[in-house]
Amino acid sequence: MILKEYQQTFRDKRMVMLLTAAPVVQLILLGYAVNMEVDRVPTVIADEDRSPQSRSLAKELTAGDAFTLVGQVPSGEEAVKMVSRGEVAIALVIPRGYAERLRAGKTARLQALVDGGDSNRATVAQNALAAFVMQRASGLALERAKTLAASQGRALDIPLLVVEPRILYNPTLSSKIYFVPGVAATLLLILTLITTAMGLAREKEMGTLEQVLVTPIRPEILILGKTLPYYLFGVVDLGLVIVAGAWIFEVPIRGSIPLLFLAGTLYMLTTLGVGLLVSAIARTQQQAFFGAIFFVMPAILLSGFITPVENMPDWLQPLSGLSPVRHFVEIMRAVLLKDASMGELASPLVALGGLGLTVYASAAYLLRRRLA
Amino acid sequence: MSRLVARILAMAQKEVVHILRDRQFLAFALGMPVVLILLFGYAVSFDIENVPIAVVDQDRTPASRQLVKAFTASDVFVVAAERESPDSVETLFRSGAAKAALVIPRGYSRDLAKGARTKAQILIDGADNTSASVTLGYATAVSLSASRAELTKRAGPVELPLELRTRTLFNPRLKSSVFLVPGLMVIILVMIAVMLTALTIAREYERGSMEQLFATPVGRLEVILGKLTPYFAIGLLQVLLVLTIGVTLFEVPVRGSLLLLFLVSGVFLLAMLMQGLLISVLTRNQMVASMAAMFSTFLPALLLSGFVFPVENMPAFLRYLAAVLPPQYYVRALRAILLRGNGLEVVWPDLAALSGFFLALLFLAVARFKRTLG
Repeated sequence: MILKEYQQTFRDKRMVMLLTAAPVVQLILLGYAVNMEVDRVPTVIADEDRSPQSRSLAKELTAGDAFTLVGQVPSGEEAVKMVSRGEVAIALVIPRGYAERLRAGKTARLQALVDGGDSNRATVAQNALAAFVMQRASGLALERAKTLAASQGRALDIPLLVVEPRILYNPTLSSKIYFVPGVAATLLLILTLITTAMGLAREKEMGTLEQVLVTPIRPEILILGKTLPYYLFGVVDLGLVIVAGAWIFEVPIRGSIPLLFLAGTLYMLTTLGVGLLVSAIARTQQQAFFGAIFFVMPAILLSGFITPVENMPDWLQPLSGLSPVRHFVEIMRAVLLKDASMGELASPLVALGGLGLTVYASAAYLLRRRLA
Repeated sequence: MSRLVARILAMAQKEVVHILRDRQFLAFALGMPVVLILLFGYAVSFDIENVPIAVVDQDRTPASRQLVKAFTASDVFVVAAERESPDSVETLFRSGAAKAALVIPRGYSRDLAKGARTKAQILIDGADNTSASVTLGYATAVSLSASRAELTKRAGPVELPLELRTRTLFNPRLKSSVFLVPGLMVIILVMIAVMLTALTIAREYERGSMEQLFATPVGRLEVILGKLTPYFAIGLLQVLLVLTIGVTLFEVPVRGSLLLLFLVSGVFLLAMLMQGLLISVLTRNQMVASMAAMFSTFLPALLLSGFVFPVENMPAFLRYLAAVLPPQYYVRALRAILLRGNGLEVVWPDLAALSGFFLALLFLAVARFKRTLG
């Protein structure tokens, strides 16, 4: 039975390609795409002051990687126009009198214009600009305080309070390391679920299922035969994806590989089970496909694959516990990056196993009733 | 010409009968966009908040408590645990119970009173890089503002030398749903449109009904356009549905012209339906077609459209790939029309790119759609 499903799958060379090469190619392409670090933000500077101080501010701002100077315009109005047309994401306006106010010991105001049309980039750009101004401001404040103290004829102890950050596991804050496990889980989900869901539906559509049913094969064997080949494909893909992730994107492998495959097996128990469930209900391949999508999309979106689960509204967070993707991604990240132990991952492992068993058992029950 | 139209309509009519007979299909076609936009709108949020933080206060003085408060007073952090020593923090990170830890060593308030350089430490779980970078920025801001407060205490009032005022155009509260919804429309339309059509021709091949079709005098272009028309109508309905929910539930503004919005959406829809048909023509197998549809839509639309990840930061080969795929143009056009209220003078290059993609795929599909069964 397993052999038969194998042969059927292998007969179509394109299917084999899709099942093995596609996930890796996708991972590579998409791994390069997932770069949340916003740098090279297209920037315009409107220097209305035209003083040495304003020029040095402009020069310092665009010296790093964060901002790329698209152009300089003479006035703030022109900067607004450029932002409105979407030509730049952020504009810094240095108003007239900037240098003079600085010299007089007053507050010099700067203005930033941000394109809120792309709020992700806008937030990052705005924060980077604010941090830049703040750093500069505190340097200047220190100088002012020193001059003030000196004019009063006393030395100044400078208390500097530092909350020193130490970043663990991913010191460069590379977003690839965050996203690669998510992309891998998504690929595995799509691959195993859709193929199982459509495999049985195809036999129903073509009428070959009846032929199988008249043979003395027991339903359990039929179910096993329908899912095992895709499980094996999934295991191979998981291995490929981990290797590709480590090799190309430098996603570290710090933890236990058997633990990863254990989690992968529990995960695929759910995805294959949902596939069976869908194929038990669907009559045609198209229905099976759509049914599969109906599960795949919410499972991905609720998993925190794109943005962390804590950002979701409170009422939605419990619902995300139903997504196997969430638990699997959590385990993958923890094992790969943090060398987490089985005990530390007890709760996502139990959740994944529970989901898997429930889904698989109910799919098997439903199928047996429908087939008998 | 009129014969051509008549045949296309006949093909379309046949497809409509098919669609109407399948209730589940219709439920999917109209229900899925609603489910997707609700999920996307609520579940995907870039507004970082509730980052679980562990507090290790070894100093236990009013000054150290003040520092803890500086972190926990905002919505960004929630205290997840309090620990005596920093050693136990890593377990919290590994099990995902905390993503940051504030460690205030003994002697913190003494150093502060002496005017010495005073250090506290924030440990950050870098695995979640977005929350980590927000935490990092927050820690810097707290240090700087606390330092400045100490400075004024000692030196007398020093006027703030620089002040930055930020004006955000188009989305003043920087709500992520406002900018996400245009991106969502892309994902939803890409997926649904390609999926609607990817199986139609493959199904006829598998069932053998393609043979019957070839026996009639209907031409290749006519089959394809006939198949396209009803799905186009469903697609436009989806655009309307998604837009209505976006505007009413997620407060997405419509600043530009609705007509232009539907024009751009229509062309994009045609391009995507065509992509599905092309997949169908090339694969002739529903299972392969569905995998190809899935792989060629969701992740590329999510990752290469500039919807979440800025395209300009990608390596060159991906920028080229994104440039030949339609999603990027549609996201750009939607943001321009919806949020900035731009007109055709800004949107025309995107519209041209989308039309070009549609025509190229139409040509390819007709060319590869052979009237043989070999």
